[in-house]
Amino acid sequence: MTARLSLAPAAGALADAWSELRVHKLRVLLSLIGIAVAVGALTAVVALGELQRQVMAEQSDRYGGRIATIMVGASRDDGAPMDWDAMDARFERVAERYAFSRTSRIVDGAVTVPVQLPEGVTQLPSRLVDPDYAAMHRLTLLEGRWFVEGDTELLAPPVVISEALWDMIGRVPVAQHPTITMTGDLAGTYQVVGVTPRDGPWDTTPRVDLLYDTYRERLGAMPSDVAVMREIWVPPTIVDELGPVLAMDMRAGAEPGLTISVNRTDWGAQAGFADSALIFQLVTGAIAGIVLLLGALSLINIQLVAMRQRIREIGVRRSFGATSGRIFTSVFLESVVATTVAGAVGIVLVVLVMRSDWVIELMFPGIQDVPPFPFSAAITGLVASVIVGAIAGLIPALVALRVKVIDAIRF
Amino acid sequence: MTLVSLRGVAKQVLLPDDSRLDILHAVDLDVDAGDHVSIVGRSGSGKTTLLNILGLLDSPSAGEVQFGDESTLTMRAGRLDRMRGANVGFVFQQFNLLAGRTALENVAMPLSYASGALFWKRDALAAAMLDRVGLSHRLSSLPDRLSGGEQQRVAIARALVRSPRLILADEPTGALDVETGASVMSLLDEVASESGAALVTITHDLHVAARARRHYRLDAGVLQPVDLDHAFAASAHAERSVVVAEPGAPR
Ligand SMILES: Nc1ncnc2c1ncn2[C@@H]1O[C@H](COP(=O)(O)OP(=O)(O)OP(=O)(O)O)[C@@H](O)[C@H]1O
Ligand SMILES: [Mg+2]
Repeated sequence: MTARLSLAPAAGALADAWSELRVHKLRVLLSLIGIAVAVGALTAVVALGELQRQVMAEQSDRYGGRIATIMVGASRDDGAPMDWDAMDARFERVAERYAFSRTSRIVDGAVTVPVQLPEGVTQLPSRLVDPDYAAMHRLTLLEGRWFVEGDTELLAPPVVISEALWDMIGRVPVAQHPTITMTGDLAGTYQVVGVTPRDGPWDTTPRVDLLYDTYRERLGAMPSDVAVMREIWVPPTIVDELGPVLAMDMRAGAEPGLTISVNRTDWGAQAGFADSALIFQLVTGAIAGIVLLLGALSLINIQLVAMRQRIREIGVRRSFGATSGRIFTSVFLESVVATTVAGAVGIVLVVLVMRSDWVIELMFPGIQDVPPFPFSAAITGLVASVIVGAIAGLIPALVALRVKVIDAIRF
Repeated sequence: MTLVSLRGVAKQVLLPDDSRLDILHAVDLDVDAGDHVSIVGRSGSGKTTLLNILGLLDSPSAGEVQFGDESTLTMRAGRLDRMRGANVGFVFQQFNLLAGRTALENVAMPLSYASGALFWKRDALAAAMLDRVGLSHRLSSLPDRLSGGEQQRVAIARALVRSPRLILADEPTGALDVETGASVMSLLDEVASESGAALVTITHDLHVAARARRHYRLDAGVLQPVDLDHAFAASAHAERSVVVAEPGAPR
């Protein structure tokens, strides 16, 4: 009777709301399907956007390097042969002033190596890199390890092969020390220390990754007709100032005919990437928002229609001591509880669907590690359903507040 | 000890055509703890309005309502609601059970606006009360599966479950046949007396009115004590003619 602090009003209002929902299952169910769908859609959109960004970032890292990667290239336009060792020396000299944490030389696509396969010696595409390459491109291995410093000293030089090539040599586990044999200038036995995964089901390229230095030693010098690039990983905060200075340093004193290019290659430098991801999220988010709004409107509508039938019930409750505040809270909570449950159902369904194999395969063909469902998406969905419930609950609750007890119970 | 007292209570309402309708005129009424009062009167004489004022559901246009020792004039709405919940139990003519809720849920409903043990033990208390009105076997029945008499017994259990000091019954037998009405009335009398609650019954039926200790008639908004023996004698002829005229009166 006195306004003593007690749990009972809150517990009671929640119990009322729940029991009201339970009694009017069908009515509630119908109005909630829309909410569940909308929240599910919203969650899916946020999750897709998140996954998309994750996957795109990962793939971009693999090709263009992590944020921020600067690539230095060199070429001659006077027809004279390119001296790559001189370029290395030039870079080492400049790099002394900068203390780069990771750099790697890269020859990709221009070199093939003759490998002894069951069907005979075959020229296979090869990639020549330094050990830092893996970290700079967020490379993950299917098996074994990537190159480390000192690998060049090993008796049987290490190679990392692609999964397609690994299949060709019988998928011998790396722990059992599989080897490949090469002929020609590169003649010898090479130890397979790691396997790179396929980029996708379409990726059937049998490729051999070799350390740049291993290749160079076997041939005596780097052929002058291949293009050697050098990637440098720098903190994104200083990349804009550092680029031009580095370019100037690299070009200082270069003999005529030698062109040195310095570019930023990571996806962070490409404005379009971030924009398109943002636009995708904005558009889909707006659509989900509209669906959610429609769901809320239909919920308000159904609650208001139901309110006509409930006026007598509210009158009866008031005559048994329910305060108007309590009635307001119960009706309000009813919507919030309902949309929260509906939203949770929608979210769970979306999580289940998006974890099913064929959906993953459909959305992100050839993805290696299925990324976990973004937690932020589930939270966004849940928050949205609570907000929708609050908005949809406010109007019927205000109507309930205005019910005149005497009129409600008079017959 | 006086539980509720009305002093010069009048009620007027403004009709849509801006004319004023006087429903109650200067009503004085004291209901003591444990009292049994009956009020008879023609349809439209203001009985329900009076009952609503007694039960703090409505406020008078003039005059004063004292509940316990307190004047309700300056009481705030929430305070009135809580006071009503703790002290008043209603029994309606149309039962007014919550549709779709079981008998147990209906009876537990008033306790959900209580606090402490009453709130937390509401189901057990409701079950005990239903047992008291002889419905322990219908705890989980929905109202539309109960007969009229059973529904009114559930309503009586609901009115009494919070042990109110005042029970207000507005034509509690109005929707029941004579026999069922009589048994429901004796149940209501019994449980009210048991719990020491005051009972105010509004009725058309003189036999129902006769169960009370004090009898009033409301005539065009004026409340007067009435001698029931006279009323019986005066209506004896009319009553008999009603029974003759409508042998199959609707139940
Ligand atoms: N809020 C209101 N607005 C307009 N008229 C009202 C209002 N409340 C009551 N009345 C009128 O006042 C009169 C008394 O109403 P009340 O419900 O108290 O009568 P009653 O004695 O209970 O009648 P019955 O036996 O038919 O239930 C009726 O004529 C009714 O139409
Ligand atoms: Mg009436």
